[in-house]
Amino acid sequence: MLRDSKVLKTAVVLIYMALLAPIVVVVGVSFNPSSSYSVDLHGISLRWYRAFFASSAFTDSLFMVSLPVALASSILATFLGTLAAIAIVRFRFVAREAVEAAFMLPLLIPSVLLGAALYLFFARLNMSGSFAAIIIGHMLIGVPYVIRVTAAGLVGINPAIEEAAINLGCSPAIAFIKVVLPLLRSSLFSGAIFSFIVSFSDINVAIFLAGPRTTTLPLHIFSEIQWQGEPTIAAASTIQIILVTLMILAVQKFFRIRLAF
Amino acid sequence: MSSQVIYSSSPAERRAAGRAQVAPWVWLAGPYALVLFLFLAIPLCNLVVLSLFRYSATSIWTPELTASNYARILDGFYIALTLRSLWIGAITTALCVVLGYPLAYFLARCSPRALSLGLFLLVLPLMVSTVIRAFGWIILLGREGAINSLLRALGIGEPLGMLYSEGSVIVALVQYVLPLMVLPLMAAIERIPLSLEEAAVNLGSSAATVFRRLIFPLSLPGLVSGILLSFTVSISVVVTPALLGGRKVRMFGNEIYDQVVTANNWPFASSLAVMMILLTFLAIALGLAAGARAGRRR
Repeated sequence: MLRDSKVLKTAVVLIYMALLAPIVVVVGVSFNPSSSYSVDLHGISLRWYRAFFASSAFTDSLFMVSLPVALASSILATFLGTLAAIAIVRFRFVAREAVEAAFMLPLLIPSVLLGAALYLFFARLNMSGSFAAIIIGHMLIGVPYVIRVTAAGLVGINPAIEEAAINLGCSPAIAFIKVVLPLLRSSLFSGAIFSFIVSFSDINVAIFLAGPRTTTLPLHIFSEIQWQGEPTIAAASTIQIILVTLMILAVQKFFRIRLAF
Repeated sequence: MSSQVIYSSSPAERRAAGRAQVAPWVWLAGPYALVLFLFLAIPLCNLVVLSLFRYSATSIWTPELTASNYARILDGFYIALTLRSLWIGAITTALCVVLGYPLAYFLARCSPRALSLGLFLLVLPLMVSTVIRAFGWIILLGREGAINSLLRALGIGEPLGMLYSEGSVIVALVQYVLPLMVLPLMAAIERIPLSLEEAAVNLGSSAATVFRRLIFPLSLPGLVSGILLSFTVSISVVVTPALLGGRKVRMFGNEIYDQVVTANNWPFASSLAVMMILLTFLAIALGLAAGARAGRRR
């Protein structure tokens, strides 16, 4: 059988190695004691992590910009996306499929275009570089993930449970809040985390919308790489990688991760 | 989906609700629809309008209709830029097909435990910031980088100048978009019953024949969406060519970024962006048409 072939398994291992190699070397360099971009297997040093926490440009971009922006845009995206998912899954209306497709647009439009279009739009409104601008941009790219995850969760909930509550005298809205919402908790959580990661990792939208006060961590890493900064970049990247890894693990614990894609 | 609760309020209920004659789905889908209108539709329209305005060195643009921004794209430099972006996108997509099939097939047919690990290792690189992945490739491919050190240790003298070339951009892009190819492909292969494969093998088909006559044709829908995703994403990147392409390998996204932010020529940047939208839509239309044709032939 094809699936048992050694060639296939070898190929899969090699492809995974190539896929993970750039991430692994970044983590390796971050623990490197010298200031070269190399992985030193002899000594492990936290020098670049100390340098990271000593640099206000780095810590501000993480704690004052990236995390708050991701939190705000994820809350907004989860709110909008959940409502939209309920409408798509539980209601019938004209052109529902067209609406569903339109709701995925922020994901289909290249994010560079979205960034450029929003930049020019916010520039006209004199909102360039504001927190509102970047939060709105990140909210937009997060909602499609929330819709997919929440819709997948909603489809899996047997409507009979809800009908039972309605038959027992609940109004449809109360039945939804008291019966469906608790069952939907893991999807809501996963959707929120996905939209958080999307914002936290984004560079294509941030590169247009961020200003001097709203430089996100990936954007600061980007400019440091261009100026060929020290391996502090690697430490900053590793912190990003660790946070993203933990969040994906959390999602995977109680949600089928593939339903998000 | 046939088994759904479909709420329909009776006229009495509607009257009881007083002024609120609006269907509940409007309240649910409305907020997001409004956000899409305000922050997607209007900015895109603004882009199209700007692309028709004349550039002015003092006020960025003047409301004077002109087609000159589009005419400028026909300049040799921008034609070359467009062709390079399409070429890099096509090569990246082709490599993703070649590398994506083994991975997608493996994930579609492996045990649930291997699947959860495999998916984790696939989604992780996808979710880590593009900048960090490009940074990793700089470390790997640089003159003093990991690969050259390895070659030196093996006694191969001359360090290879791999960075800042079309090759380094393509390598990084393949790593960037490969998960986007694998995920839909895997979903399509999963839907092919394993018994079909078993039957083919029992009747004496080789692995190559099983792939060519069975897996490939039946996974075409997944392949088409994977190709569309990979291609549209890889022709519209900014950061990857900016960091790995150096000054030589510029792509469409770099030019849009520079015209918007550095040169402040918003009308021209807008016309480039409109071109990119059109190219993306053209690619999607061609892909869908090819997919439909392949579906009919089957």
